[in-house]
Amino acid sequence: MDPNQPPVENYANPKTCLFHVLFKGAALAFYILSALFFNSFVIIFVVTVLLAALDFWVVKNVSGRILVGLRWWNEINDLGESVWKFESLDQESLARMNKKDSWLFWWTLYLAAAAWLVLGIFSLIRFQADYLLVVGVCLSLNAANIIGFTKCKKDAKKQFQQFASQTIASRFQSTVQSAFTLV
Amino acid sequence: MSHNDTIPLYQSSQSDIDEIENMMNGGLQSGPGTVLPARPPSPIRPSIPVSSSPFVQSNLPPLPPSSSSVPAPPSLPPAVNFGSSEGSKTIGFGSPPNTLTEPVWDTVKRDLSRIVSNLKLVVFPNPNREDPGKALRDWDLWGPFFFIVFLGLTLSWSASVKKSEVFAVAFALLAAGAVILTLNVLLLGGHIIFFQSLSLLGYCLFPLDVGAVICMLKDNVILKMIVVTVTLAWSSWAAYPFMSAAVNPRRKALALYPVFLMYVSVGFLIIAID
Repeated sequence: MDPNQPPVENYANPKTCLFHVLFKGAALAFYILSALFFNSFVIIFVVTVLLAALDFWVVKNVSGRILVGLRWWNEINDLGESVWKFESLDQESLARMNKKDSWLFWWTLYLAAAAWLVLGIFSLIRFQADYLLVVGVCLSLNAANIIGFTKCKKDAKKQFQQFASQTIASRFQSTVQSAFTLV
Repeated sequence: MSHNDTIPLYQSSQSDIDEIENMMNGGLQSGPGTVLPARPPSPIRPSIPVSSSPFVQSNLPPLPPSSSSVPAPPSLPPAVNFGSSEGSKTIGFGSPPNTLTEPVWDTVKRDLSRIVSNLKLVVFPNPNREDPGKALRDWDLWGPFFFIVFLGLTLSWSASVKKSEVFAVAFALLAAGAVILTLNVLLLGGHIIFFQSLSLLGYCLFPLDVGAVICMLKDNVILKMIVVTVTLAWSSWAAYPFMSAAVNPRRKALALYPVFLMYVSVGFLIIAID
């Protein structure tokens, strides 16, 4: 082993990464390969959409939390308005997040959406409306996750900047106060 | 926790995060910027705990964890739900509920219990029906998804020919129908939230699901008609308060008629399948 080689950072959460990729890949693979084995559209539809829905849930609730420390959801407050809530880990933990994990997270998200887009174009060319339905459902699930997490990341950055400036201001205030009390 | 009169002259062994949190909580109570709504706290719903501080203390150990399981969260009191503008965080008192580091099983249980409670609220008689906006506050689309797929599968199973077309048509009809009905209410000038309405219309399919299963098992035409009529009435009764409350009273019929029409057409689909 070359002693000068820097240690390669491994995945911090291999099981989560696996699940993150597993359902996405299974949905795509099943959709592409099923035409060879199954004659019935119903099975293709149900299994693909089920896998895509499971993937959506896993990404939103599990791998988003563990791999990048972000979470988003929608609530309706007492006034009857729809409110998007975002949650993120504090900056120190975010900085400590494994780089490989977050790279995998974001890139597989984008790649899966691109793959569904390409498959959708194929089925559009072949005028297969029912397969277009499947692709449409899977694409919208992926897009929802991408949009949700991107918004969450931006919101986390904004929050931290606001918070940092607030902290500096209050720290300054308390320092000045303590200076006066000590005099 | 107000500002201390004397600030300790020695460095405490608190971590940076604790220090920041203390200062934040101290600043909160003296800051003029926080506005508390003057109403009693909303009842604790068996659902999403609200993040009550912008940053959640991470439970990640300093060493790289060897497994992906996260430590169990400390038991925390549920936070009061403050209204907030889109995208901004709520700030609360005390230790924040920590949905970011809860175990996966907790998330699953929370989602499942939300589906069950939403179903009970919508389909079964309960005191909250007078205030429709409150009932389906924690909308979710899992329940509707399962019910639509189940109805499609049941219809497809009952059909002796063209099973795939039946399923595709049933799914597309129900999904597109829910979207169009929601748009209808919005265009009539009603106040309803898109996803909440989708969720509601999906949950109201539950009686029709039951009816479809019964019709699949027994092939008697008279029985089918009775069952479908009963479940149709049940579905419409379930959907009525929410849809009618959302629009102007003079336009109630305009909003309700398409809903009824859709359920009637699904009912015909169930009867006519052989």
